Amino acid sequence: MILSRWFSKRTLAAAVAVLVGAVSAGSATADETCNSPYIAKLIKGQEDYVYVWALGVEGLGDGADKLVTVDVNPKSKSYGKVIHSVSAGSRGEAHHMGFTDDRRFIWAGGLAEAKINVFDIATDPAKPKLVNTITDLADKTGYLGPHTYYAMPGRMLIQALSNTKDKGGVTGMALYNNKGEFIASYPMPTDGGGDGYGYDLAVNAKKNVLLTSSFTGYANYMRPLGDVVKDGEAMKRFGSTMVIWDLKAMKPKQVLSVPGAPLEIRWSLNPKDNWAVTAAALTSKIWLVKPDGKGAWQAKEVATIGDPAKIPLPVDISITRDGKGLWVNTFMDGKTRYFDLTNPEAPKQTYEKVTGKQVNMISQSWDGKRVYITSSLLANWDKGGDDNEQFLRGFAWDGKELKPTFEVDFTKEKLGRAHHMKLGSKALRTAAAR
Amino acid sequence: MIGRAVGAARAVALLAWLAWAPAASGHDAERPPGLDFDPPRPGSYTLHRIMAAPDGLVLGVDGRARRLSGFTRDRVTLLGFIYTSCVDPDGCPLASRVFDALAPTIAAAPALRGRVRLVTLSFDPARDSPAVMRRYAGSRVSDDGGVPWYFLTTRSARELMPLVEAFGQDIRYSVDKSSGKPRRELSHVLKVFLIDPAGFIREIYSSTFLHPKTVLNDIETLLLEQRGEPEMSAAGRR
Repeated sequence: MILSRWFSKRTLAAAVAVLVGAVSAGSATADETCNSPYIAKLIKGQEDYVYVWALGVEGLGDGADKLVTVDVNPKSKSYGKVIHSVSAGSRGEAHHMGFTDDRRFIWAGGLAEAKINVFDIATDPAKPKLVNTITDLADKTGYLGPHTYYAMPGRMLIQALSNTKDKGGVTGMALYNNKGEFIASYPMPTDGGGDGYGYDLAVNAKKNVLLTSSFTGYANYMRPLGDVVKDGEAMKRFGSTMVIWDLKAMKPKQVLSVPGAPLEIRWSLNPKDNWAVTAAALTSKIWLVKPDGKGAWQAKEVATIGDPAKIPLPVDISITRDGKGLWVNTFMDGKTRYFDLTNPEAPKQTYEKVTGKQVNMISQSWDGKRVYITSSLLANWDKGGDDNEQFLRGFAWDGKELKPTFEVDFTKEKLGRAHHMKLGSKALRTAAAR
Repeated sequence: MIGRAVGAARAVALLAWLAWAPAASGHDAERPPGLDFDPPRPGSYTLHRIMAAPDGLVLGVDGRARRLSGFTRDRVTLLGFIYTSCVDPDGCPLASRVFDALAPTIAAAPALRGRVRLVTLSFDPARDSPAVMRRYAGSRVSDDGGVPWYFLTTRSARELMPLVEAFGQDIRYSVDKSSGKPRRELSHVLKVFLIDPAGFIREIYSSTFLHPKTVLNDIETLLLEQRGEPEMSAAGRR
């Protein structure tokens, strides 16, 4: 029943006209090719685990958000099975997570709160353990809804989505040390064309550039999607900018106009490249961010994802390690698309497949041969009834076809709504000599 | 005025540095990697307190035990973990090249001389004894009035590990396939720490930002902050 549950096509069309698009998304940095450049221990062989950060569902299991470990090594007896889960003890709209630079800990949080959970994944990578809870984000910064967790040397840079004052989209970034102690905050710019909104962040270290994108605030992302879309004023409160920051100084340098809620940011990992892509959720467009001939950064619309009039709603993207390909998941039509990025100025879709009734996050292994997909966008934005599939699905990719390899039904397993993924390995076990 | 003083001293020293002349120490004529951006000007940004620099027992090249805090207070300190057998070009050798490039430049700047020290600390006590560290240091350790550069190690893994853990420089173990026993695999993840005179870590460099230009700017930023001086003027830098 896709959109009909929330609003009529006419209503939707009006909303699209008002906001140059439709609804919006919620996702973030995901897979092995999309980690912070300060994370040195990339898994370049077969990963053993996929960690899934799942939203709790009332009445399902303990109802709390939880970090779930799924065995994804085909040589393992428990391949494709849940082998562990650890509860956060509360339900706070679990959303995204990120490794510390030493890849010993995962920081994970929820959009409904300002709490950050720290899981030890090094002592026993199969069995993450909740070892710390950071609760001072709101007090220190006034920010709400920590979203992206981006490793810096010895620190974690966190992009929030909202604020505690009006729960709108004006927000900022917070910097903590790896012990979980607050260091500093950096508000998103509200001058020079800035809208103050935040979503994802990603670093191009060789150019000293931090790039940020923009989504919307608590007041929108915690409302039922249908209500938001019918509310013309609410629909105006989505981000339409990306910001180029001086990374070293942590100062905004340039605001780029990117209408339609630009979400995930992926820098090409090819050392010769100097560009990033993003997908604007509301307009269903791929944008390229790169410097012009004079060195000034520019944002340029370079491709369309599906038929924007049908609101495919691109939510997560995943770039191949050579910067030549891009996976795009569109929530509404449940499709996984592949774009040839050989010419980033003109990406071309070369493949698509329906991978679920609703799909959100997409992650790939370093070699690109394995692709993982989850289902949940936001608790109040997921579909209803039979369309509300909640899963982690594994696929093999041979360059031509996505072939299903395993599936975990998160509802049947009483785990909740499957959202963000990170890859794990037995080889990353750390035992300190004491 | 730190800015003017450094600017004047740089008139000679920085010309060589900016041209990437090999370090005067003669230890490593290989140039540090290039920098693909202009770093922000000293004093135009804030280096926040990341955390207090950890403390513990270390050994100097003379074999005497001392507190590490004796090497991380009262001056701006640049501290890097290395192990002498490291060959990863993006690891310990890079840190040594950058330190080698910085030492003569700092020594040539009167405003920096006496305010900065370099510390190289081994995280391989099993192999890097004080004697090995002395050989590794070579002529870098001298009393010629240049930048003090200390080469330290620890007595054992037991004394080392709390330091390493507290700094966030982790060490991993792997299994020796021939014996099946755990063996230490030393981490090649490069981290160098900039510590202010009060003993707080103010910057942590990975290989990306570990460059003489950025480090010197950061040192000057800390010294400007200490003196309460404003951003260095363009004129002061020339």
